[in-house]
Amino acid sequence: MIKPAASSEKKGAVLSIKTTIQDSIRNLLKKGMDQGVFDAVLIPMRVPAGDSFSYVLIKDKSLLNNAVALPPIMSVQGAKAVSSVTRLGNGTMKIAAVMRPCEIRATIELTKLDQVHVENMTLISIDCPGVMPILDFIREPEKAIKLFENATKSWDDTIMRPVCQICDKSSMIAGDLHIGTLGTKKDAFFIISNSKKGKDTLEKLDIPLNGNIDSWQIKVKENAEEKQKKRKKTHKDLKTKIGHLDNLLDTFSQCINCHNCMRVCPVCYCRLCYFDSDKVKHPSGEYLRRAKEKGSIRFLPDTTLFHMGRMMHMSLSCVSCGSCEDACPMSIPVAQIFSMVADETQGLFDYVAGRSSGEPLPLKTYKKDELHEVEDAHD
Amino acid sequence: MKDTQSNSDILVIGAGIAGIEASLMLSKSDRKVHLVEKTSYTGGTTIKFEDVFSNMECSTCMVAPIQQELLQDKNINLLTLAEVEDVQGSFGNFIVKIHQKARYVDMKNCIGCNACFEPCPVRLKNEFEEGLSERKAIYVPCAGALPNVPMIDTEHCLRFNGKDCHACQEVCMFEAIDFNQKDEQITLTIGAIIVATGYTTFDSRQTPQYGYGKIDDVYTAFEFERLYASNGPTEGKILLKNGKTPKSAALIHCVGRNIKGYCSSVCCMYSLKFNHYLTLKIPEIKISEFYTDLCIPGKSHQKFYEKIRETGTKLIRASDIEITKQGQGIVIKYNDERGKKNSTTVDMVILAPAIVPNGDASKLAKILGVTIDEYGFFKEENQNVSSVVTSKPGVFIVGCSQGPKNIQESVSQAAASVGKILSTY
Amino acid sequence: MNRKIGVYICECGPNISEKIDIDKVIEAVRFLNDIVVVERYKLLCSEDGKKYLTEQIKRYGLTHLIIAACSPRDHQLTFMEVCENAGINPYLFQLANIREQCVWITADKEEATKKAIRLTKAAIGRVRCHSPLEKKEMESNPDVLIVGGGIAGIETSLQLAHSDRKIYLVEKTASLGGLIKNFEKTYPEMHPCSISIQQKIETINKTNNIKIFTDSEVEDILGFFGNFEIKVKKNTNEKDSVSFNVGAVVFATGSTLFNPNKTTCYGYGKFDNVLTALEFEKMNLSGEIVLKNNKTPKSVAIIHCVGRTEKGYCSEICCMYSLKFARYLKDKIPDIKVFNFYSDLCIPGKTHQKFYEQTQGKNIDFIRAKNIEIAKKGEHLTITYNDEKSGKNNYDVDMVILSPALEPTADTARLAEFTGISLGDGGFFAEEHEKLGPVSTSSQGVFIAGCSQGPKSIPDTIIQAEAVTGKILSSLIPGKKIEPEVKVSFISESFCIGCKTCLDVCSYGAITFNETKKVSVVNEVICRGCGNCVAACPSGAITLKHFTFNQIYQELKAAIQ
Repeated sequence: MIKPAASSEKKGAVLSIKTTIQDSIRNLLKKGMDQGVFDAVLIPMRVPAGDSFSYVLIKDKSLLNNAVALPPIMSVQGAKAVSSVTRLGNGTMKIAAVMRPCEIRATIELTKLDQVHVENMTLISIDCPGVMPILDFIREPEKAIKLFENATKSWDDTIMRPVCQICDKSSMIAGDLHIGTLGTKKDAFFIISNSKKGKDTLEKLDIPLNGNIDSWQIKVKENAEEKQKKRKKTHKDLKTKIGHLDNLLDTFSQCINCHNCMRVCPVCYCRLCYFDSDKVKHPSGEYLRRAKEKGSIRFLPDTTLFHMGRMMHMSLSCVSCGSCEDACPMSIPVAQIFSMVADETQGLFDYVAGRSSGEPLPLKTYKKDELHEVEDAHD
Repeated sequence: MKDTQSNSDILVIGAGIAGIEASLMLSKSDRKVHLVEKTSYTGGTTIKFEDVFSNMECSTCMVAPIQQELLQDKNINLLTLAEVEDVQGSFGNFIVKIHQKARYVDMKNCIGCNACFEPCPVRLKNEFEEGLSERKAIYVPCAGALPNVPMIDTEHCLRFNGKDCHACQEVCMFEAIDFNQKDEQITLTIGAIIVATGYTTFDSRQTPQYGYGKIDDVYTAFEFERLYASNGPTEGKILLKNGKTPKSAALIHCVGRNIKGYCSSVCCMYSLKFNHYLTLKIPEIKISEFYTDLCIPGKSHQKFYEKIRETGTKLIRASDIEITKQGQGIVIKYNDERGKKNSTTVDMVILAPAIVPNGDASKLAKILGVTIDEYGFFKEENQNVSSVVTSKPGVFIVGCSQGPKNIQESVSQAAASVGKILSTY
Repeated sequence: MNRKIGVYICECGPNISEKIDIDKVIEAVRFLNDIVVVERYKLLCSEDGKKYLTEQIKRYGLTHLIIAACSPRDHQLTFMEVCENAGINPYLFQLANIREQCVWITADKEEATKKAIRLTKAAIGRVRCHSPLEKKEMESNPDVLIVGGGIAGIETSLQLAHSDRKIYLVEKTASLGGLIKNFEKTYPEMHPCSISIQQKIETINKTNNIKIFTDSEVEDILGFFGNFEIKVKKNTNEKDSVSFNVGAVVFATGSTLFNPNKTTCYGYGKFDNVLTALEFEKMNLSGEIVLKNNKTPKSVAIIHCVGRTEKGYCSEICCMYSLKFARYLKDKIPDIKVFNFYSDLCIPGKTHQKFYEQTQGKNIDFIRAKNIEIAKKGEHLTITYNDEKSGKNNYDVDMVILSPALEPTADTARLAEFTGISLGDGGFFAEEHEKLGPVSTSSQGVFIAGCSQGPKSIPDTIIQAEAVTGKILSSLIPGKKIEPEVKVSFISESFCIGCKTCLDVCSYGAITFNETKKVSVVNEVICRGCGNCVAACPSGAITLKHFTFNQIYQELKAAIQ
């Protein structure tokens, strides 16, 4: 269990950047492998064709030269990669996983249902400026990489996914270590410890935790507050747009029921989705009856039902990563809608998905004093 | 006792909670049980309560499943409106004579539709509802009574008093009403007897200082239970005799304790339960609870008490209580803890009377050949050996027939008597 | 699927036949799929009715049966029996309640008819999805493990021991007898009690079918009702572990006394001549009541309710045994002055008030006191307290006896864990139901008796021991098979994600986790079919037999279409 250090207790170190931040990170990981702190590293890498990035589990440390800690896109949600490696147990390999904060949070969520096991994993996050929509990248990869580099320097989110543009958790630390790039002096970055494992790791790497991370915390707070304002306004506007059933139906009317959003979602862990199962397959008589009742029936049926059902099932664990929207071939704003609803549902329980592995899932906890607002609404 | 001639059937007297538990347990061991119940219904006094302490579970919901099991159990021969008249023989071979009064309604044909009540011209006070509502001469004591078959009160039925009335029979479409039924004498051979005849409460008129019977809105515990009950005379509305909602109430513990000479063990807890009832139905009500020693033993009871205390209710250790009517209110004069005189005025008073043996306990004891103790309860031989065993082998006493106790203890004794029987033969 | 469904609508006299148009109901369902016959009948639950149904089933070769009539509470079992006798699996039957849930609550005939049609269609929709379920039978072991050799364990052993049942009695100390061994007399009779307990122990020693393990503890309990696997080990140096099988387990581990060391106001452990109740019982039993300096005490204070605030409950027996102590003292030292300091006198029951009144005699004072503090004053002890009448007060005495609360023994938690039962109020074993199930637990076959269930007197302990006997004798009968619940849960291996949520919500310990396959598994023998796991499963991998998704969905759909 990762026990998060209280923010005042978070200890960090200030490290210097000799060439680029990416290089510094690579060197750190190499050092870790050299000293046997890590046996392998899970980190994104640009694919040979150059038009995408992929998570790679690296055992040969020379390949770390091509690793990219903060790729412009999220082709696969990091938690899914972690899930592939550890669903059936820990294994003895010590792995360092370098991912974005929302990917770490999704991983933490999955530990709560025993879907990933991270005892032998060191989860390392990094300040995230956002993720580019994948289609924007694929069109012109080289141009996109430049755009992303600039955006990272100026911390400008205009080219990022819509959910990233209103993300106030882009520097949230939920894992063991965090790489801070905000509020630094020139040519320096922070490495912050958030757990005993993180602390021990830094010790083994001879990195003393005596740096002052106040400037990082101040900048992060500033950014978060700004984003929260934006988030509130955006959600308000979104609610007006899809608040009524008709609007909702319109929004999802383009859906082709490919279920891609569900497939790429890191917290959709069911072996067989309810909506792929026999429970939604009816005899033709049933469809004829519906057609009779309503005049006509659309195929594939139950589209909005699929989204509402999926929302009901995973909203409490949604980390607003936006992978679902990237995967939608019809460009439906699923992430924006799901993220907005997740804020509300998680808010009912004062819960933030993946914030801490010590926080039990609202699904599994019962408090005498909860949901009064829902109860009262029915009086 | 491995006498091959001993009879394995068991007679259980009383179909209250203890009698039901004992019967069901015996049936599970494939023993035949003859369950004799004096009234027309099962469940005893437990079904008079709306909720039970300390988890405040719905009493009828708790008992209904086992009543249902009882009625459908093939091993249990339920004889309602029946009483034991004579017992001869000994452990393993008792010969019991039972007098079963006619119900005048056929239990196989009647489906419990209640259509026969409406046309009956006779109106009487309903004893089950403590006289707070009326019933007819053909009646079931309360909604939900099981078996759901009415009986005819021949003492008041017009037909049985010489008049030519058959209003009920006319409306019954199942030919279930049979005026020609006769009382029956049933003789049974059985191996052992379990006495589970329960209790009644001390007559509060014997303690005139509490004003019961003289002052309106002074109620006994059972009366209040029926007022609060959702299937009771007011469907659960707590109202004064003038129809208004009480703004204040007093609960008086230990009524009759000095006269009877023992603590009835459940009254402090059920008075706290009443306190809870009152604040549930009337949140702003002001309650004063008058007690002498708070008797709340058991791992779960004190926390119930503490919950009630948190509501701000007044718990007053008092003595020498006098209750009189003054104008619209009821005045309670008392001596407080320090011995100082004090008084308070309330709209309603609820008395917690002592638990006393049933009026016919001594008669039954003679029939069974067991003794009763100085308080009138059936006497156990030695409670440090087993409190269900009497001086007569084969006759066991359980529940409040043996002494005042709560439902958990009654059920334990019922199971214990079964344990004793099954381990003996 | 070659279904042949027969639908029978009961007229129930005027009850149903006058309140709805039965013919309309017949018309509404006659042509539905799989329906081969729809009839109405005067009274289906009568003997004639049952005969009629049996004939109909045989005549039409029915595979499924629908009856629209009264509440299942009344006749579910009746009609299931009819099915079984006529050769239909009793679970291929559904009873639609068109009486209590329709005609008895709907005044308008047309509305009632419409509703009756819906209810009948719903039952038909459901029954199409029913699967036959078979009754299961299991061999069971009639032997019993009793943990704890105090009065409860002894009584249970003696009552259960029989030629066709072995009893294993495990006691952690060196000898049987429990706390009672230390008492000279019991209240209210004040008869010497050591003889009777010795006799009982002798009887146990002589009884062949009772195997006694002293200086031993239970190491493990695996399995379930009818089939428990027990491991017992001796506490001495021998690493001997004994294993055996039983059908039922009884926890009669008693209780221990709250340690007054946890309080500071009574001076226990600090001052001489401050004793706990148990220490005083032992001193009394030895025959000589003396102070540390061997002198006879001239005055004794007995403090009730020690630890009551800390524990949060009244231990029921302390007021009575404090009165017993007053009697012990007066019997042995007639001139001694005795003070009972109490808060509320708890003396429930028909014999206890008399005992109290008879104890109130010369020189036994009863003081209702609060805020008691004990200090040393030379060779004596001073008790300061608050009295409701006169405020602050004090008394000097030679000896103080503390009456501490009863609390569960240290191994309660461990034993509870072995068997999946929980601890309830006060940390005592949780009974299955506060009122109706005082000696059983949520795990079938695991029973509790005596002070391990909660503080209580010796007579009540004996009663619970006898109650456990009754429970075991009526449910674990040598040679008789156990019939576990039929409508149980079932976990699909392929859909289970291994999150273990179901294990958390199962109150009966019926679900275990298979570490190799990383899936949860239901033990069909223990499962009671409550459905908690079905509702809690985040990925819908669990079904409840006879309450499957499809069955409920089809029933609902037909009802509200």
